[in-house]
Amino acid sequence: MKVVLLIAAAMGVSAAQAEELRFVTCPIYRDTDAGKKSGCWLADAHETGNRYDVSKAPSKPDWNHAVLVEGVVASRTTEDACGGVVLDPVRTSILPADCPRHMLEAEGFPGRKFVLPRRNVSPLSAARAPIPGPFAARTFRVFYDFDQSFLVYQYDDYLFDAAVAWLRAAKPRAIKVVGWAATDSVAISGMDFAEHADIAKERAEKIAESLARMGFDKSIISVEWHGGAKPVIDPDIDGLVEPSRRRVDIVATL
Amino acid sequence: MKRLSLYGGSLLAAVILFGGVSLTASIGQRPKAAATTNYWWAPGSGQTFPASADFPNASGTLRVLLDGGPMATKGHPFFTALSPSGRACVTCHQPSDSMSLSAETAQRRWRETNGRDPLFAAYDGSNCPSLPQDRADSHSLLLTRGLIRIQRPWPPRDPIGRNITVDYKIEIVRDPTGCNSGKYGPAAEHPTVSVYRRPRPLANMKYLLAVGFAYDPKQGMPLPLDPETKKPLSGNLMADGRASTLTAQMSDAAGSHLELTRHLTPAQMRQITDFESRVFTAQQRDVSGTALDADGAEGGPMKLFTSRPGQLGSIGKPVWSEFEAWEKPKPGLTREAAAFRASVARGAKIFRDKTFLITDSSGINSPIGFGNPVRNACAFCHNMSQMGNDVAPGQVDLGTTTLPFADPAPDLPLFRITCLGRPHPHYGRVIYTSDPGYALTTGRCADVGKITLQSLRGLAARAPYFANGSAKDLRGLVDYYDRRYHIGYTEQEKQDLVNLMRSL
Repeated sequence: MKVVLLIAAAMGVSAAQAEELRFVTCPIYRDTDAGKKSGCWLADAHETGNRYDVSKAPSKPDWNHAVLVEGVVASRTTEDACGGVVLDPVRTSILPADCPRHMLEAEGFPGRKFVLPRRNVSPLSAARAPIPGPFAARTFRVFYDFDQSFLVYQYDDYLFDAAVAWLRAAKPRAIKVVGWAATDSVAISGMDFAEHADIAKERAEKIAESLARMGFDKSIISVEWHGGAKPVIDPDIDGLVEPSRRRVDIVATL
Repeated sequence: MKRLSLYGGSLLAAVILFGGVSLTASIGQRPKAAATTNYWWAPGSGQTFPASADFPNASGTLRVLLDGGPMATKGHPFFTALSPSGRACVTCHQPSDSMSLSAETAQRRWRETNGRDPLFAAYDGSNCPSLPQDRADSHSLLLTRGLIRIQRPWPPRDPIGRNITVDYKIEIVRDPTGCNSGKYGPAAEHPTVSVYRRPRPLANMKYLLAVGFAYDPKQGMPLPLDPETKKPLSGNLMADGRASTLTAQMSDAAGSHLELTRHLTPAQMRQITDFESRVFTAQQRDVSGTALDADGAEGGPMKLFTSRPGQLGSIGKPVWSEFEAWEKPKPGLTREAAAFRASVARGAKIFRDKTFLITDSSGINSPIGFGNPVRNACAFCHNMSQMGNDVAPGQVDLGTTTLPFADPAPDLPLFRITCLGRPHPHYGRVIYTSDPGYALTTGRCADVGKITLQSLRGLAARAPYFANGSAKDLRGLVDYYDRRYHIGYTEQEKQDLVNLMRSL
């Protein structure tokens, strides 16, 4: 399925880049040994017969389970490191449906050496630059895989940590945590997809608990949750539309 | 005694009698310790705990350092038999066994006391209290695997005693000890689940308590906070994470292993915490005659004492780079010593750099986002500089207790776990395990089989390995990993890893 992104125009993204692919498939692992975390993840879109390289997703597939792929063909011509058309940005969500595990040998594809994602949390021992004011009311977001409430390592933890750092500096008088779920049903690869409504609550409550663990007074944190999430524009969803529905908004009031 | 730094400028030295053998304890310089043949520290012995003591083992010599110098143990709650059975903390956390307990020590103690040592207390030093206590086979799990019975409440309870909602059902498939059926077990009037685990070493604690990052990537949440100090908790203390602070661990142990009916006093807890925070252990000398801190190497406990804990090896000091100096051969060594050093150095590199496909292991392949499979090396999880435990809370399922990966263990109970909500990410809806591990603390099916990563120091002194003692020696440990992850180590690589680990 292709989703034409009207929002993309507002972000300065060309039409060619703005075709967001969404499909469900069984993932394929290609064992290219370019060192640690170097293996490739491939996904065949049955509708088109195209094979895509989805290795750049923040959370990777599980070869035992189907995966929902959401991504855009990379705008820059890149080396075919894995044996598929590179999707970047891309998100992959592990689904409950079982898949036969399938692994390919390297077959001459070099894979990619692991590079630390730009969204990574520094150790506590590292000095942090102070966040300068003045501060104004602001909303932070974290985004989720389909039907999940888990903060993905080296993506969501970074987004949440950035929010925490700002909130600590800005000292808001109130923090509203709003959980969203993409409950509107949509057909993808011949199947109807809608998130469970409960996941919005689960997302919101986990973020509220996470804020409390980071030292924020529970009395200033309010929590609400909703289905029927609409897309948002946010730099940290990298221009993807559908995944932007699956989120929590952290709304700071000064 | 005034507390002095082991690496400061003072040169105070003292000679201490320890188990009838003279020890030289040096404070303020690199200690010169003499080996002792006294393997057993009896509760209430009143000995002075030395600043440094060496203990022989099959691989060489373990060294135990006490920061701050010698400590009188008379009346000290760690060394005093507070238990009605005559046990003390030291009973299962012996200095000679790197502050843990080896199966060999348990066997020796059985022979020497005809099974009357408090170590073999019915409550948890036997397979089940209902068994005849004078028979060795009633203590077979302790004698053969070094296992202590851990009786967990069912359903699990949170730190303030409230029942936790559990998303799985537990049934007994096999109960060879009798401690999960009848008056015991999850169907009993007072429901419990008995599992059997190795005592974890109470040493090098600053590493196990260190917090490197604010988040637990395996739970997708910030670290939980210590209810007393409000500081984040490392999550690396207990096999199943049931206690996250030393005081919580002490309370748990006092009420179970020591069978105390009263709480430890705050003063006793402070004394025990102080002692545990000052003990450092590591192998110091190999049986081949090589000092593990010779010629630029940095083995032994002194490096542990002087280093800052909680550092990720991948962005700082690489894990086991203590043996980097041995990558280059040194002229003049005996052939045996040269071969050993080269092997240890290779083992360190294999540990860090030889990658393999890690598959179907929750805590690694799910739910963090690394993918299943993910290619990486031993140091992926054993990632803390100097120590080799996980900088993040280390709850990982290697399969050592759970089918189909676990080795056959007819002497252990077998539980059938049925996930009531979402299935387990790798095992599916129904799981067979001899120890649900972390799931006995969290109540979550997704946590079945997860066991907190073990400390890797002082290994040579405390076989067998893994939480259920399923690897009888270091080669068995390497062989398990080789089978589990289809690594394909060569014989040389296996020996190099064994030599590395016996040097830690």
